[in-house]
Amino acid sequence: MITVKNLHKSFGKTEILKGIDYHVEQGEKIVVVGPSGSGKSTFLRCMNLLETPTQGEIWFDGQLITDPKTNINKVREHMGMVFQNFNLFNNLTILDNITLAPTKLKLMNKEKAVETATNLLKRVNLLEKADAYPSQLSGGQRQRIAIVRSLAMNPKVMLFDEPTSALDPEMVGEVLDVMKELAADGMTMVVVTHEMGFAREVGSKALFIDEGIIMEENTPDEFFTNPQNPRLQDFLSKVL
Amino acid sequence: MNEWFADIAYKFQIAFIDGDRWKLYLKGLGVTLQISLFAAILGVAIGIVVALMKLSVKKNGKRSIWSVIAQAYIDIIRGTPSVLQLLIMWFIVMENSKNGILVAVLTFGINSGAYVSEIMRAGILAVDHGQMEAGRSLGLSKGQTMRFIILPQAVKNVLPPIGNEFIVLLKETAIVGYVSLSDLTRTASQVSSRTFEAFMPLVGAAIIYFIIIKILSKLIELLERRLRKGDHR
Repeated sequence: MITVKNLHKSFGKTEILKGIDYHVEQGEKIVVVGPSGSGKSTFLRCMNLLETPTQGEIWFDGQLITDPKTNINKVREHMGMVFQNFNLFNNLTILDNITLAPTKLKLMNKEKAVETATNLLKRVNLLEKADAYPSQLSGGQRQRIAIVRSLAMNPKVMLFDEPTSALDPEMVGEVLDVMKELAADGMTMVVVTHEMGFAREVGSKALFIDEGIIMEENTPDEFFTNPQNPRLQDFLSKVL
Repeated sequence: MNEWFADIAYKFQIAFIDGDRWKLYLKGLGVTLQISLFAAILGVAIGIVVALMKLSVKKNGKRSIWSVIAQAYIDIIRGTPSVLQLLIMWFIVMENSKNGILVAVLTFGINSGAYVSEIMRAGILAVDHGQMEAGRSLGLSKGQTMRFIILPQAVKNVLPPIGNEFIVLLKETAIVGYVSLSDLTRTASQVSSRTFEAFMPLVGAAIIYFIIIKILSKLIELLERRLRKGDHR
C-alpha cells in the first residue's frame, strides 16, 4: 500500500533521514519507536509529503506520489493524519471540524457529511460536543475528535504522529482505545509512539528508527522480548 | 461673570449658528466619514492580498516575485509622507479627475493597505502552523486552508491593531484640505478665518472627532468580544 524507497531528508545541512526503505501492506499496523530526534516523525510526515523528501521515492496505492506532477491534495484525501498537538481547527465547532474537508472537497453534500460526522461522534461518545469549540474540550476529547475528523474522509491508511504524547496520563487510555478499535476494524495504520504497551498489543510490525535509518524491524513480540540491535536494547532498557 | 457667559455664547453663535454654519460642519463630517469608510474597506482588501503576496514562497522555499513586489509597495508607501502621496495622486496620477473624494479614497486606501498588510501578515504568522498542516493533511489546498481556517483566526488576532489603524486613518484624512476638499478639519479652519474666532470651530471639530472615534473603538470592542466567543482562554 505504501512503499518507501531510499528515503533521504535533510533540513539545511542536517541529514535527518539517511536512506529508508520500507513497505507497508494493506491492513498492517506498523508501530515506529525510537529516541527523540531519531527521524521517526520525519519518516511519517514524508509519507503524506508534509515534508518533501530530499531524495527517494514514495509510492502509495501504485502511484508515485513524490513525482512533482502528482496532485498531492488528491492523494492526501486517502491518507488520514493525527498529530501530537491535535490541530483541531480552533475557529470551527467540532461538527464543522469534521465536515469541512468532505464538503469543501465535494466528496459529500452537507447532509451526508453531517450524518457521517454524527455517526462517528457517536462511536467515540462525543456526540454532545458537536456544537462545542475545540478550546472547550479536554486533550483526550480533542484527540478523539482529530481521529474522527480524519476518518470522515474514509482514508485507506491512517498516520499517527505521537498521538498521546501531549496528553495528561489519565487521558491516554481513551485515545488508545479508539485506536485499538480502529485497528480491530482492519484499518492500515502507521503509528509513531512512545506507548510500548500499545505497540506490543496492536502492532503487526515494530520498527526501531535511530540516526535516520531503520535499525531493527520485527514482530512486536520478538522486538520487545528479544531485541537484536544493541541500540534498541539500550533504548528499551530505558523506556520499559 | 455674566459678561464671560455672554462672550462664550456669542462665540458659539458665530461659530455654529449664524448662517447655519452647523450644516457646514455636518457636511465636512460627511466628507471625512465617507473618505474614511471607503478607504478602510479598500485598505483591508489591499492589506489581505498584499500580506498573502508577501508570505508567498516559491517551490524551493525562496521568496517569490509576488513577495518582492509586495515589499516594494510597502516600502514606498511607508517611506513617504501621506500628504505627498495625496498631492502626487491629485496633481499627477489622477490629474484629470474632478472627483476629489475618489482621489482621497484611493490615496488613503492604498496608504492604509500597506500598514494593514503588515498587521495581517503578523496575524497570519501568529496562527499555529499545525492548523495549516491539519488542513493540508485532509486534502485541502493551501488556498482553501488559508481561506477557511487561517484567515478567520488571523482576523480575530489582529482586530485590536486593525482598530488602531482605522482610527489613525480617520484622523489622517484631515489632510485632504491640501487638495481643496472640505472635510471636518478644513471646514473648522474656514469658519475660523471667516469669523476671526478660532477657539470654537477648532475645539468643536476636535470634540466631534473625539466622539466619532470613541464610538468607533466601542464598536470594534464589541466585535472583538463577539468573535472571542469561540475561545475560552
